[in-house]
Amino acid sequence: MTRFFESYEADPARFFDEVISKEGIPRQHYDKLLHRFGQFSLDDIKARRQIVNIFFRNQGITFTVYGVEEGIERIFPFDLIPRVVPANEWQTIEKGLIQRITALNAFLHDIYHGQKILKDKVIPAELVLGSKHFRREFVGINPPLGIYIHVTGSDIIRDGEGNYLVLEDNLRTPSGVSYMLQNRQAMKRAFPVLFEKYKIRPIENYPQELLRTLQEISPVRRNEPNVVVLTPGIYNSAYFEHSFLARQMGVELTEGKDLVVNNNKVYTRTTRGLERVDVIYRRVDDDYLDPLVFRPDSKLGVAGLINAYRKGNVALANAIGAGVADDKVIYSFTPDIIKYYLGEDPILQIVPTWLPSKPAHLKYILENLDTLVVKAANESGGYGMLIGPESTVAEQEKFAEMIVANPRNYIAQPTISLSRHPSFFNDSDIFGCHIDLRPYVLYGKTVTIVPGGLTRVALKRGSLVVNSSQGGGSKDTWVVDE
Amino acid sequence: MLSRVAESLFWMSRYFERAENTARFLDVNFNLLLDLNNITHTENPNYWIALILVTSDRERFNDLYKEYNAHTVTDYLVFNKNNPNSITSCIGLARENARSIIESISSEMWEQVNNLYHYLQSVTPQFVHNDPYSFYKEIKNSSHLFQGITDNTFSHNEGWDFIQIAKYLERTDNIARLIDVKYHMLLPELHSSLEESEDSTDIVAGSVDIIQWMAVLKSCSALEAFRKVYLSKIDPDNILRFLILDRSFPRSINFSVCAAEDALWRISGSSRHRYVNNADRLIGKMEAELSYTSIEDIYSKGLHLYLADLEQRLVKIGEQVHLTYFAYHTPEIEPQDVEEALPFTGVAGGRANWSQAQQQQQQ
Repeated sequence: MTRFFESYEADPARFFDEVISKEGIPRQHYDKLLHRFGQFSLDDIKARRQIVNIFFRNQGITFTVYGVEEGIERIFPFDLIPRVVPANEWQTIEKGLIQRITALNAFLHDIYHGQKILKDKVIPAELVLGSKHFRREFVGINPPLGIYIHVTGSDIIRDGEGNYLVLEDNLRTPSGVSYMLQNRQAMKRAFPVLFEKYKIRPIENYPQELLRTLQEISPVRRNEPNVVVLTPGIYNSAYFEHSFLARQMGVELTEGKDLVVNNNKVYTRTTRGLERVDVIYRRVDDDYLDPLVFRPDSKLGVAGLINAYRKGNVALANAIGAGVADDKVIYSFTPDIIKYYLGEDPILQIVPTWLPSKPAHLKYILENLDTLVVKAANESGGYGMLIGPESTVAEQEKFAEMIVANPRNYIAQPTISLSRHPSFFNDSDIFGCHIDLRPYVLYGKTVTIVPGGLTRVALKRGSLVVNSSQGGGSKDTWVVDE
Repeated sequence: MLSRVAESLFWMSRYFERAENTARFLDVNFNLLLDLNNITHTENPNYWIALILVTSDRERFNDLYKEYNAHTVTDYLVFNKNNPNSITSCIGLARENARSIIESISSEMWEQVNNLYHYLQSVTPQFVHNDPYSFYKEIKNSSHLFQGITDNTFSHNEGWDFIQIAKYLERTDNIARLIDVKYHMLLPELHSSLEESEDSTDIVAGSVDIIQWMAVLKSCSALEAFRKVYLSKIDPDNILRFLILDRSFPRSINFSVCAAEDALWRISGSSRHRYVNNADRLIGKMEAELSYTSIEDIYSKGLHLYLADLEQRLVKIGEQVHLTYFAYHTPEIEPQDVEEALPFTGVAGGRANWSQAQQQQQQ
């Protein structure tokens, strides 16, 4: 019986490996983990896998894959080997994110008020005002506490040298936090001894912190502001998460048809009549929120909601129009945004980004499509992407055409070899998979980040795409104090 | 409680009960045919027409099938997805409703609905044909298990009451239909065609009649309970007395109406001399009438008319429950408008489909 981990082959020459250093020796913060896993046989691990699987199945933790008829429900693939982040590295990430989110919020406030940053020509005005997610209607509106981005989840990757880079900011209520919480529960059941050996910072208070943040932005002062979660409904891929968070916070999970606006105030329809709502944690896109203002064909929204919001009678998290700051084109200006509003250098760097809307960049992009990653500016979930080294010439030509036709809609970045981490999920062998990290940032009266986040894993051998819709999985993430 | 949550609890419960009742009809019909095999023509399609009459959608059936026999009727009532009342459709809709309120029900309740749903996906028509007894028993037991789980894992407050209302309204409706079908079988033209056997004598006719009435009792699990009250005096008067007017048997009309009334009154705080809304008034009226009705009163009105009237009134009660609790109107809209705008369709379970594409588009 081979001992677990003996078969693992890191490739530190080609990739930054989270566990094995360039010199081929294990990093110190993984010592206890390797020691413990070293005591396991394959059968031991399989037994623990069983515990985890039963846990997930009983919890009904599934996501929905689109494009297949009726939408197939699958269990989110879970990788048993946790990721360990030492406290000093976490400190950098935490500081960097607080800096970044603070600056992005200042940017949003500016864009929807004086637009100083545009007048000072730090960013070309047409890029901001022409963004699909810029909401002209909300210029001059003051959201409670001046906050636009209450819940965010920036995706962080590590390059070949192990530097933490921000890959994108998800400012329109990102999903995945329920997996972060459930992964931790599952690991506690399967590996209780490891939890005794490490000082792992807890994340279990996330739902309370989320509720506190949401209550802090209530426009109406009362002891217990009435918070609800607004979901598109059971066919949404993140429906499990919506219901999970509502349950954990102890608030109502509502659909658009549960809410009604009367006299510019929002109410839930209950069996005992109407009940006033103060804060809506909405998991519905801007476009669908109110058929009177945005898409008239929306069946998910609430007629009159936007007027209630404008009057300051209800708070929305996140605020309408926040998406303009996570447009991938605006992303390339985020270092300038941080400098402009905070006068500081960015703590976390971004991935170098070329914009086809600049003629010099366009030429470079078209000449190097086989090595670059091209992304649509406003897509998410790994859709609408070209990964140069993995693409065919025909695909490259198709993208070249689309880029030239609509340069504002695309960006290009070098193909970054995401860091790798040993993964075990197919129950036969252990191999290196590319990973990223999505910490969740809460912004109320203060900025709070629960230590850790969701580490997403590209479980297909060699794949760089970590999105759950594209065959990605996840693993637990431990921020440890020495 | 959110109106939508209450409504989904209501329909989850109602569809579950409907599936169980359909299983009961089918199960008993198979047994009935075995019992009658020696004394009358069991290939006679009228035995199967009766089952379609219970669910009163003869037209839809005729659109889909050419004849009435064990295969077509079973397929229609168990598997057919175009039949919203087939067992598969009902459990699918019960699950859909449960899924939309998964944070409100107990996880054990969800698991039970989900298990039955997946069981039905795995069953083939051949399996049901070979062993109908086991199949229908599985459906009935699953339903009982669901009710037991609900009683023991779900708080007995408003939500639980909506589950009870739905269950007992559905059950009342089904008992009424079942008795009515027996009445249909006794209609001259059907009756004569069922008794066309060569040695058709009064004695045979009488025993066929008794066997049919026993089948009605059995499909309500009522044969044993009946015997404890009336011993072996299986005559139509006693059977009707038992199934309609008995106050202690859980599958009698009177019992079910009382149970629905209790649940409705608990929600609103109505009492015997003071009703709060129309749903409470109508159910109270029905319960009071049942309490003081004799079997002779029913005969004097005519059994079929009596049952048809009862079914109509049940629909009215369902409408009022809908208007009072589920279709909560905004202050500007008068209740009359609500009635026009939101007709009581009875297919709430299908409501989730209409916005499926948009729900999926959200990030």
